[in-house]
Amino acid sequence: MAPRPAAVQGAKTGHNQEPEDGSIHIPTIALAGNPNTGKSTLFNGMTGLRQHIANYPGITVDLSTGFADIGGQRYRIVDLPGTYSLHSRKPDERIAVRSLFGTIGAGHSGRTGDSGPAKTGMNNKMPEADELSPPDLILNIVDSSNPDRNLFLTTQLMDTGIPMLVVLNMADLAREKGIDPDPERLERKLGVPVVSVSATERSAAGLIRDAIAGERFARPKPLGWRPEKALRKAVEHLVEHWVRPHSGLPAAAHIPEALRLISDEHPGTPFHDTLPPPGMQKVLEKAVDEARSIIRQAGGNPVAIEVLNRYEFIGGCTSGNATKTATASATATANANAKANTGATIPIADRIDTMVTHRILGPLFFALVLMLVFQSIFTWAEPFMDLIDLVFISSGMWLSANLPPGILTDVLVDGVLAGLGGVIIFLPQILFLFFFIHLLEGSGYMARAAFVMDRFMARLGMHGRSVVPLVSGFACAVPGIMATRSIESARDRFITIMVLPFMTCSARLPVYALLIAAFIPPTVVLGFLNLQGVVFFGLYMFGILTAVLAALVLNRMLPKEKHRPFVMELPDYRMPDWRTVLSNTFDRGRVFVVEAGRIIIAISIVLWFLASYPKTDVLPHIQGGDVALVEEEVEEEIEVDIDVDVDVEMGMEMEAEPGTGAEAGESAGGRELRNSYAGRIGRFIEPAIEPLGFDWKIGIGLITSFAAREVIVGTLNTIYSIQADNGSEEPLRQKLIGDTHPETGQPVYTIATALSLMVFFALAMQCMATIAVVRRETGTWKWPLVMFLGMTALAWVCSFVVYQVAGLLLG
Amino acid sequence: MLLKPILLAGKGEQFTIHSLGSNHEEVSGLQQLGCFEGATGRVVSGPSNLILQIGNTRLAISDRLARTIVIRSQ
Repeated sequence: MAPRPAAVQGAKTGHNQEPEDGSIHIPTIALAGNPNTGKSTLFNGMTGLRQHIANYPGITVDLSTGFADIGGQRYRIVDLPGTYSLHSRKPDERIAVRSLFGTIGAGHSGRTGDSGPAKTGMNNKMPEADELSPPDLILNIVDSSNPDRNLFLTTQLMDTGIPMLVVLNMADLAREKGIDPDPERLERKLGVPVVSVSATERSAAGLIRDAIAGERFARPKPLGWRPEKALRKAVEHLVEHWVRPHSGLPAAAHIPEALRLISDEHPGTPFHDTLPPPGMQKVLEKAVDEARSIIRQAGGNPVAIEVLNRYEFIGGCTSGNATKTATASATATANANAKANTGATIPIADRIDTMVTHRILGPLFFALVLMLVFQSIFTWAEPFMDLIDLVFISSGMWLSANLPPGILTDVLVDGVLAGLGGVIIFLPQILFLFFFIHLLEGSGYMARAAFVMDRFMARLGMHGRSVVPLVSGFACAVPGIMATRSIESARDRFITIMVLPFMTCSARLPVYALLIAAFIPPTVVLGFLNLQGVVFFGLYMFGILTAVLAALVLNRMLPKEKHRPFVMELPDYRMPDWRTVLSNTFDRGRVFVVEAGRIIIAISIVLWFLASYPKTDVLPHIQGGDVALVEEEVEEEIEVDIDVDVDVEMGMEMEAEPGTGAEAGESAGGRELRNSYAGRIGRFIEPAIEPLGFDWKIGIGLITSFAAREVIVGTLNTIYSIQADNGSEEPLRQKLIGDTHPETGQPVYTIATALSLMVFFALAMQCMATIAVVRRETGTWKWPLVMFLGMTALAWVCSFVVYQVAGLLLG
Repeated sequence: MLLKPILLAGKGEQFTIHSLGSNHEEVSGLQQLGCFEGATGRVVSGPSNLILQIGNTRLAISDRLARTIVIRSQ
């Protein structure tokens, strides 16, 4: 047994709170393993956090850190992105490897490598991850139902020499499949302790905690997987002549790096984010050549020998069969297949896969799934939305009736409550959207969707793996952009990042839902489809189509690169774990309410002030008797085209005869809003947005929505609440329908306006968080700026065309 | 037993992988997933949008990559 990491006497300050004394060393436990082995579930169990989990490889693309007190000792727990190998080049897997080595380029004197397309300047260097030292302990999470492939990484982790505990996870699933990895045998062979758990059972985290508390971990023996003598000698040679003296890598990375150099076709290409120091390339090449010669002289193949030796060792660990992998399961599947050939039952998973990955049926099935999801969102959420609307309206009425009139009541009712209610009403739709996305993720279908779409994505310059980030974009662009780390090619990844904000995220949903509910009749089309749902689906399709076109343009502009062929592990189909699905869904709902609510409350308060002041019933300088100035100002600001009857001498409220000016027919509240600070800002930008069919009130909403798209709904609700001087508590959509131009008496919102506004929101880049994450992932401000300007310009042009054409067609 | 590209294998056919003939990166990616010379498996669906069951791992492999995998039928 390895000595226990240095004890920490830190006070138990509660989970996930780092002790205030930063000088105390907290031992780090890294959860490492293949993708989709249940690492995040165990991480959640050990830390009490709620990291997003799903049933497809590549859901965790960044480091997650939490804390746990185990046996009186405080530990930092790090959930690493899943990786199949320490030699992988995919960005998410490299984060895992860098964390295990504690390298992150430290100690390197080499140049920074850049393997990305020249025109983007983007490469697959890691985005800034939290800098970490090598972990004190590795919890290697192994899928018990597939030990042969999982142990490949285990044997690589052994080479780091970092203390390990192997956790055979999903023991229940393995038993169902008739697989018993035999922990005791495995422990003997690997030379490190092994525990068997099922992550979905509540006791799993407890078993691991007990194992750690009982010091059931050990420092493995590097090269303990018994490589051939020639390979061992080659590794030692390379470590001695290159890795240790020149690479700058820490000890844990020495043997893994030597093995990578031996088998890599291009050992001099940048791997640890650096190139060899200038002048050292020849030293590297000589050392590698000599190491390979040792293997060749013994009759081995330097490129293949490591893999074969590892799988031979693994075969001995799991079944005693020295060369064939997964013999037992292969026999089982062979038996199943033999039955299938003789007309007996074909495994259900095979039948489903044949259908959902069919070249023609597969994409159709994918489209059908998306359509059903969007239809359901619109139909099922309606009663819940009505309920929320009722609660907010009743609360507003109650507050108005029970609080004394004054500024506080106005801010609370017309500002905060109106702004918040306007957005929270869409929570049910957002919950339904996330529910379905998590359901798809949990079922194992998402990886199949990626596969069937690969051929199509390749034509757009993307990869099948781009599908999962793009579908995540339906929920939110930020995690979608993060998820592109699972794409190996820098070019494919760049295109995916740039087009992802066109996907219809949940923040657009309130805008669409409001306008559709107000202006699209709920008629039945094709006998069973709701027209509102069809338009809703059409907007999602519009987002996808725009992303496709944008990808085609980028694909033509960027230097060509050979398409990387698709290969992906397909997870087993599983009945989604309802607890996980619901927990993930409500987490996202909570984030929506908290994050959006925070912005909306702040903006609503500021907006209430800007929209309520200055009070224009009695202009201050009128009382001072500056009649000429007032007359001039009124003419200028109110754009009076006919005489305005302003009784300045009497100091009376400005009034205009109906139909005689800009404020004719406008309520007192409307006039007040028009002349408020917000009104002035809106009218200032009105000339730029008028060709799109937007008036100055929508203009105010457009400005606030650049913080986050959904804010426009709260903004409009606040604006219309202030404008409504008759105490109207009707829903926002009714207020929009009833709003008229004071000059003409014509409705402000027509179907053309609504379509134009929806198109603007479909295309414009109105999300600060997305801009920030694009900056982080591309490593430059250039691309977020291009994205912002390009998308906004595109939005203006398309909205203009839509408004003008729709105006002509619909009158 | 005849050697052939896996694309020519029929649905349900069992095989042993004889060679992986594409470039190093692709070979390495396949090996990490348990698809290495000597491994046994069967074709779940294909030949277009090929799905293989190798051991307990179900792999989706594009046509281009599948052309480089040579198998021996069992």
